Amino acid sequence: MKFKDYYEILGVKRDATPDEIKAAYRKLARKYHPDVSKEPQAEARFKELGEAHEVLKDAEKRALYDRMGSQWKSGQDFTPQPGWDAGFEFRGGESEMGDFDPSDFFEAFFGRRQARGGGRRPNVHAQGEDHHAKILVDLEDAYRGAQKSITLRMPSYDAAGRLTSHERRIDVGIPKGIRAGQHLRLAGQGAPGMGKGAAGDLYLEVAFNPHPVFRVEDRDVFVSLALAPWEAALGAKVETPTPEGPIELTIPAGSAPGRQMRLRGRGIPGNPAGDLYVVLSVSLPPANTEDEKEAYRALARAFPVNPRGGRSER
Amino acid sequence: MSSDDPRAPRGLVVEEDVRFTLVELCQTCAIGEDDVRAFVLEGLLEPESNDGGEWLFAGLALRRARIAARLSRDLGLNLAGTALALDLLDEIARLRMKLSQMPPPHDEPPHLAG
Repeated sequence: MKFKDYYEILGVKRDATPDEIKAAYRKLARKYHPDVSKEPQAEARFKELGEAHEVLKDAEKRALYDRMGSQWKSGQDFTPQPGWDAGFEFRGGESEMGDFDPSDFFEAFFGRRQARGGGRRPNVHAQGEDHHAKILVDLEDAYRGAQKSITLRMPSYDAAGRLTSHERRIDVGIPKGIRAGQHLRLAGQGAPGMGKGAAGDLYLEVAFNPHPVFRVEDRDVFVSLALAPWEAALGAKVETPTPEGPIELTIPAGSAPGRQMRLRGRGIPGNPAGDLYVVLSVSLPPANTEDEKEAYRALARAFPVNPRGGRSER
Repeated sequence: MSSDDPRAPRGLVVEEDVRFTLVELCQTCAIGEDDVRAFVLEGLLEPESNDGGEWLFAGLALRRARIAARLSRDLGLNLAGTALALDLLDEIARLRMKLSQMPPPHDEPPHLAG
């Protein structure tokens, strides 16, 4: 088990006041909150912040943590010594953090019972809880629809009330036209109900796997297409990839780099369907051989143009 | 809800095919009815229609309500702050989308004569 330096995580000194700890936590939480942040490791970082704050904001937990002394460094191998918690009495209060997911290190210190007390919500109607998860699909799935088999890890409580997890596989039909950020609802696939209560539902938030060729914005899909200078200037028929397979695209003469050609209705299917944008770029071949250099010189003679001013380029 | 595919449960697209009653939205987001009422009073959620005196929320409310609940809980935001944060997040998403549709800027360093 690796030691976690909660003071270092929050960026506060070991003698920080509760107000300083709260301010440091709030500031970092705003920065790394997964709903707000674009930082790559935001979710993991936010979890770590929550755990550090959970310990340091609580006088009892902080005192217990401080007992380990200050010689430990983050990431060091750490084993709690027997009897480390002798003489400490916990109030056993429930954590106020709903999604608190403690690390092994936290659990070694404070036990599992502290982290989550079982159902947080009084379940009056005894319907099973709804569950939420994320699912990654390919852009092609949104064009054709697909069958996906996904594995979910579900936290659950064993007979002794301890948090464990088990895996289960679910087959999901991905409907044609699905877009990133939308949710799929699978009825009855959430937590089982209590007694005669119905099972909860499972909600899957959809995101696309990054695609090497296409970029997606809501319903619209973008693909960049490199042209040779003469193709852009004279026009051409060019094979262009689309999520539904390659098509032959007619490039009009005089196409400037950056020009977007819209293929209406070739984005993600739906009502209305999205559009496919082909973003043109011009790729300049290097002049290596004498023939190639001569070709550029011929261009220079044919176009006595100063591109930094003078006659319009288009 | 019926499944029209015999092999796998077919997901319903929440944002298109689902509307929530107040009770359903609370169950799905694991928040209280008072929270949702407060969200509505703040203009953070807008019930789509009032069917026989009962609120119905469009599927899009799911995402909004969940983010609002998480932000207010995790960051200690009050209602007005949560509503503002959500509006700003929407605005940032719109601007990011616009930005990504613009041709990339040319970042060539200036060639110094010399």
